[in-house]
Amino acid sequence: MKKLMLIVLVLGLWCAGHLFASGAKEAPKTERAKSESQPAMQSYRGRTLSVSTWGFNMDLINKNITKPFEETYGVKIVYETGNNADRLTKLKARKDSPNVDVVHFAGNYIYLATKEGLLQPYDPDKIPSLKELYQWAKDPVGNRYGIGYAISTYAIAYRTDKVNPPITSWADLARPDLKGFVTLPDITTTFGPATVVLLAKAFGGSEENVEPAWQNLPQIAKNLVTVYRRSSELITLVQQGEVWVAPYTSFSWGNLLETKVPLKSVVPKEGTVGSQSMVAVVKGTKNADLAHLYINFILSHDVQKAQAMDLVDSPTNMTVKVPPEIGEKLAYGPEKLSNIIFLDEAKLAQVQESWVKRWQQIMAK
Amino acid sequence: MPPAAVKTTLLLLLPALLAVGAFLLLPLGFILFESVYLEGRGFTLYMYLSYLSDPKFHTIFLRTLKFGLIVTGVSAILCYPASYAISRTDQHRKSLLMSIVILPLMTSPVARTYAWMVILGRFGLINQTLKSAGLIAEPLRLLYTEGAVIVGLLQLFLPLMVLNLVSAMENISPELEEAAQSLGANRWVTFFRVVIPLSADGLVMGSVLVFTGSITAYVTPAILGGTKILTLATLLQQEAVVFMNWGGATVIAVVMTVLTILLYLGVRTLRPRIA
Repeated sequence: MKKLMLIVLVLGLWCAGHLFASGAKEAPKTERAKSESQPAMQSYRGRTLSVSTWGFNMDLINKNITKPFEETYGVKIVYETGNNADRLTKLKARKDSPNVDVVHFAGNYIYLATKEGLLQPYDPDKIPSLKELYQWAKDPVGNRYGIGYAISTYAIAYRTDKVNPPITSWADLARPDLKGFVTLPDITTTFGPATVVLLAKAFGGSEENVEPAWQNLPQIAKNLVTVYRRSSELITLVQQGEVWVAPYTSFSWGNLLETKVPLKSVVPKEGTVGSQSMVAVVKGTKNADLAHLYINFILSHDVQKAQAMDLVDSPTNMTVKVPPEIGEKLAYGPEKLSNIIFLDEAKLAQVQESWVKRWQQIMAK
Repeated sequence: MPPAAVKTTLLLLLPALLAVGAFLLLPLGFILFESVYLEGRGFTLYMYLSYLSDPKFHTIFLRTLKFGLIVTGVSAILCYPASYAISRTDQHRKSLLMSIVILPLMTSPVARTYAWMVILGRFGLINQTLKSAGLIAEPLRLLYTEGAVIVGLLQLFLPLMVLNLVSAMENISPELEEAAQSLGANRWVTFFRVVIPLSADGLVMGSVLVFTGSITAYVTPAILGGTKILTLATLLQQEAVVFMNWGGATVIAVVMTVLTILLYLGVRTLRPRIA
């Protein structure tokens, strides 16, 4: 009897699986029918675009970018996700036959990728949205290798119920009362090099003289629980109460607030460092047309606005207007934008390798 | 063996040999080659000299060995009595106990390790229990410590030790123990002077498996130790895909392989003496 029931169950599951599978197969057909009514888009439909990106806030990105893009053009987007360094390694490994068409990187990684000859210049004629961008976002690294599609800023979040006195400077990360409850983003993340610069400033150095940072990092390393490589790791650490003080990237503020942990964000006295998230066309891609189509799409007013409203990214499209309660949580508005310090990404890319080595040396202890 | 039989044997071995050659020996050869060949410099030990003299490597190498030794030692101590008990019960209970022992081997290492995160976290089972019992005021830091990694590895590899010890002890005839006792040895003396020496073979095999497993495990130290408590395996991953230092990564890979081979050879020469 039991055996019979099992067989029925398995058969039932198989049928259900089959139904769902065929349902999924039918979905693109209706999409196709829709795009056929738009003759200009015929050349794109049924094709696939491969995008390399961080993978944070993927649910919102799917809602704001993936789905509308796929519906408009009938092009399927597949993502390859990972942090900057991970994805640069992969890109390098497949230099001769890239399987990624568009890549999202932090500014200094766009430089590194350019130096390795992994990117190709974009064609401004194919990106009409470009003229709506702030001047500084149009070609931040020169030679049309990357476009800034979002700004993120770097600040410190701390537990108001655990940390007293409040955090006011990056030097506070070395405070003995915080031992075991501090985390830092890894040197290979977007703001990794900025950590070094800001610590240098906090301990009497500057962007040019970063030695004070290296002298104090071993002390700070003793305070660390762990070093995080992805923002999602940071959210977990904060949620589990393992971390009380954490430098974070502005795009994770929404997720940090969702942890319901009493948190406050502070801009330390060393100032706000900003970074542009950039997008670029991979050299040797067979889908350069789709890549431009995609870049134009994510720069467009509607997408930039949707991303801003969901606190995913701060816009670089000038035409985007958001209500004040949203604007205050973003790098948005003339006053905030004028206070942001942009570090010299080209210079950071040059010292990247030696900084990574020194950092690793300190953190391994 | 007549020539025809040799031919059949070779023919039967061929598919397995090809698979091992193509998917194991060849890639291993590549790694070895990559670690001693530098473009523009030819064959050189440069990568070994520079990487192995790195103090960071020393710290991590010693930590990995320490984990291996602790996990092997503790699992031997924990498993000896358990394996003895299992080997001396009746067949029905034995199979039940054995299936409980191998249960952890049948769950995904990732799921198992995340379960430890839930148990060891600041709001986890252990901290909650200690707190409600009034033993601690503030939750203890258990995750992202060396202790967490060791506990995770222990759970992972205890079954291997038990399996080896049980199969060794099953071969010890209970009559030998009876004989020892009839000659005046008490139960302890019997255990230490009869059971342990006769099961040493299982202990050695179990230790080799647990030790090599512990020093090469990736998921457990990666999740429970975080990015600060690095072991050779997590360091290798970091060098290869985070820092793009493929030279360093190949050196670590070779070091780990050599370590395992040395251990195996050492045990092979030691084994006959013990048995």
